[in-house]
Amino acid sequence: MGVDTIIQTIANALVLGSVYAMVAVGLAIAFGVMQMANFSHGELFMAGSYVVFVLYTLLGMPFLLAVILAFPIVAMIGLAFERLIFRPTRGNVLAGFMASAGAGFILQVLVGQQWGVGLMRTIQTPFPGGAEVLGASISYQRLLIFPATVIMVTGLWYFLTRVKAGKALRACAQDPEAAVLQGISLNKMTGLAMLLSGGFAGVGGALMAPIIPVTPYMGHTYAVTAFVIVIVGGMASIEGAVIAAFILGFIHTIVATLYDSVTATMVGVLFMAIVLILKPTGLMGRVKV
Amino acid sequence: MSKSSFSTHLLVSSLVVIAFFVMAPNLVSAYRLELLTIFLINVILAQSYRLMATTGDWTLCHYILMGVGAYATGILAKMAGLPFYLVMPMACVVTMIVSLLFAIPLSRTLGFAFFIASFALGEFVRHVWLKFHYPFGGARGINGIPKLEIGQGGEWYFIDFWDSRNFYYFTLVFTILTLVILFRIDRSRLGDTWKSIYTDRELSESIGIDVTKSRIMVFCVSGFFAGLAGSLLAYQIGSIDPHNFGMVEMVYLIIWCVVGGVKTFWGPLIGVLSMSIIFELTRPLAEWRPALFGLILILFLVLLPGGLETLPARIRELLHRTGTQRGTG
Amino acid sequence: MSFFSVENLTKKFGGLVANNNISMDVEKGEIRGVIGPNGAGKTTFFNLVSGFYRPTSGKVTFKGQTISGMATNKIARLGAVRTFQRPALFSDFTVLENVSIAQHLNTNASLLNAIIGHDNHREADSLERAIEIVDFLGMAEDRDTMANNLSHGLQRQLGVAMALATEPELLMLDEPVAGMNSGEKAVMVNMIQKIRDKWGVTVLLVEHDMRTVMNLCEKITVLDFGEKLAEGSPDDIRSNRAVIEAYLGADDSVT
Ligand SMILES: Nc1ncnc2c1ncn2[C@@H]1O[C@H](COP(=O)(O)OP(=O)(O)OP(=O)(O)O)[C@@H](O)[C@H]1O
Ligand SMILES: [Mg+2]
Repeated sequence: MGVDTIIQTIANALVLGSVYAMVAVGLAIAFGVMQMANFSHGELFMAGSYVVFVLYTLLGMPFLLAVILAFPIVAMIGLAFERLIFRPTRGNVLAGFMASAGAGFILQVLVGQQWGVGLMRTIQTPFPGGAEVLGASISYQRLLIFPATVIMVTGLWYFLTRVKAGKALRACAQDPEAAVLQGISLNKMTGLAMLLSGGFAGVGGALMAPIIPVTPYMGHTYAVTAFVIVIVGGMASIEGAVIAAFILGFIHTIVATLYDSVTATMVGVLFMAIVLILKPTGLMGRVKV
Repeated sequence: MSKSSFSTHLLVSSLVVIAFFVMAPNLVSAYRLELLTIFLINVILAQSYRLMATTGDWTLCHYILMGVGAYATGILAKMAGLPFYLVMPMACVVTMIVSLLFAIPLSRTLGFAFFIASFALGEFVRHVWLKFHYPFGGARGINGIPKLEIGQGGEWYFIDFWDSRNFYYFTLVFTILTLVILFRIDRSRLGDTWKSIYTDRELSESIGIDVTKSRIMVFCVSGFFAGLAGSLLAYQIGSIDPHNFGMVEMVYLIIWCVVGGVKTFWGPLIGVLSMSIIFELTRPLAEWRPALFGLILILFLVLLPGGLETLPARIRELLHRTGTQRGTG
Repeated sequence: MSFFSVENLTKKFGGLVANNNISMDVEKGEIRGVIGPNGAGKTTFFNLVSGFYRPTSGKVTFKGQTISGMATNKIARLGAVRTFQRPALFSDFTVLENVSIAQHLNTNASLLNAIIGHDNHREADSLERAIEIVDFLGMAEDRDTMANNLSHGLQRQLGVAMALATEPELLMLDEPVAGMNSGEKAVMVNMIQKIRDKWGVTVLLVEHDMRTVMNLCEKITVLDFGEKLAEGSPDDIRSNRAVIEAYLGADDSVT
């Protein structure tokens, strides 16, 4: 392998790790608070891509505005999930998980009926061209994802450690009963968690929209990967999810470069199964599932 | 209702149901008959899935196990050219062995971790099918699986399975056999020890039930029948690929079991039956159908978590409550 | 070697030493009391000897075999069976079925027998025996009651009945009279006595209720803060200064 291939691989891995982190962090937040396991996290990602498709491609808004708007829009879908699915099934992880699969079906159908099922939506990138670093090339669109993730994750970290609502969310994730005794409303916290969860998935999908084929069924592979990451990272641990996202990003990119992407997925799910079986709390985890 | 009159009712109604299924080929069109065959296969699948759930272990890989049975059938029947009476038992045993390989590591996990880990192992197997063109055929799968054959033209015991009625009866026999065996297990002391694991794992262990071994055993028995369903499916549809055994199908299986319930033996039967009927009736909805089923899944999990099998008890409870309210108020 | 013996048993949870260097010997046919204030480590001790926890160090032997580190179900098969401090039962089954499930070790439950219909609760032998146990524990009227409809006292009694149905040689009861009224307590005390006298079962009894323990046990082991504080006859224990102080201290802190 030449130097340029290595650099290219590293760059690809960083980009992929960033996308993974954005998607997985959302999943981890939701799971951290009252164990909301969202089977349809991938459909939230898909919704983010469609926000860009509609606002940017169809309505001609600026791309970055569409990406930013994806946060509140998909966050509202997340909130709807919380109200209609996770709150009524609270205390039964499996029931919430299965019911959210039903919600995924519904989202897929709604999007498919509105904007077409079979057709892939190709979305023009607003940032044509790319950078050349030591013989490796990377498009601006991809390059954008890395700083975006850094900003989002830093923002999240600030929110969770400095802002009152964020601190309450963390307290609730650590010990719900104690949090309730301190006067924190559990319902507000699960709602907030799903807002954030949806928002992160939405922005992830929005940023990726010009790079990947946009279809109603595009979410599945991202959901699988997000679950792999979150489980490896320790289910409810946000730091764990970020670290695991980049580890997985590297593993996937390297295996995909050396072999193919099917093999890379196989390695990923096998890794996840092994972690679950040997250490059900995850590599960096503290929450027992 | 006394116990004996209940079992008489049961006997009578099962005889009526069996009579319908025996007469069916004369009552419905060829197209409907194929649907009915698939329905019978789904009954085997749902009932074997319910067996897993008796110990409290819900999996996300049951469709994959069915796929293992189907792939084994495809490979053995097409590439090795073996006759069905060797292919089918071998397919079931192969599926059971894969189940064992799944179950041993999975038995270390519980609840949600078990559910997700089973999904990971299942996805692994599905990607093996995708990756290896020999012998699995990659994304295209295996086509042209030979029809099942008994005897040859001219021999007195020759049965022509190009006639879909014959395959229907063939499937019916296996479905009834499966139901009888699983019903026996459900009513046995062994079945009760499995259910006891669901109710209280620690208590089960303390009275000497080897919980780990039991969970592995249930997984294997369940896998055996999933393999049978897969084998029948492969013969029925003649070509299989990894998309036949995906997450969407798995969610439908979960819908049957959630809608019917899994606590009693009848739950999954009610679930498959009612959902298959709704599935056919809503054919005009076309692409909207998955949304309807998603909605059904949510409604049941939220409003009737025990499934239809608990509906009579729910209604009785409600009537009772309004009754007493009226009495006191 | 004693029938049941514990040597230097220790269990740590992180920094917390829940059981520290506990040793004891129990003879066949004894009713041994294990007492101590809240959080003394009694349940932890049971969890260790019944295989729910793996000891940090130390050894437990039963009928000459080392059982520490063995799986709970193996230990139960050898004949050492425990009950739980919480009411533990199979709520979807009737009283008789609960007992019947607990009998599975002594029946021909196997997959093949299940399939050919040769394995069910209606086998004459085991059914007779299950009825005997239920009646013996004074629950004859409740044979067909669903377990979760029983009163608290009867639920605890059912717990003992199930343990008994496994035909144990050593029965470990974790606070069997907890939450019972005095009438129910008297019944339970009487029952434990009979279990030993009639079936020859050795009993290890964890209890808070002093009177119950004093009435029943030939010998008592006292735990405090995970350590063995004293051991002796009820009279010895009653007059033991350290024990009195431990209990007074505990009472002070509780009330
Ligand atoms: N699984 C565990 N993890 C951490 N600490 C534990 C665990 N089990 C018990 N402990 C601790 O060990 C100590 C002893 O607990 P244990 O339940 O054995 O007491 P006990 O004597 O049975 O009390 P009680 O009379 O209230 O039943 C307590 O401080 C308890 O908090
Ligand atoms: Mg205790």
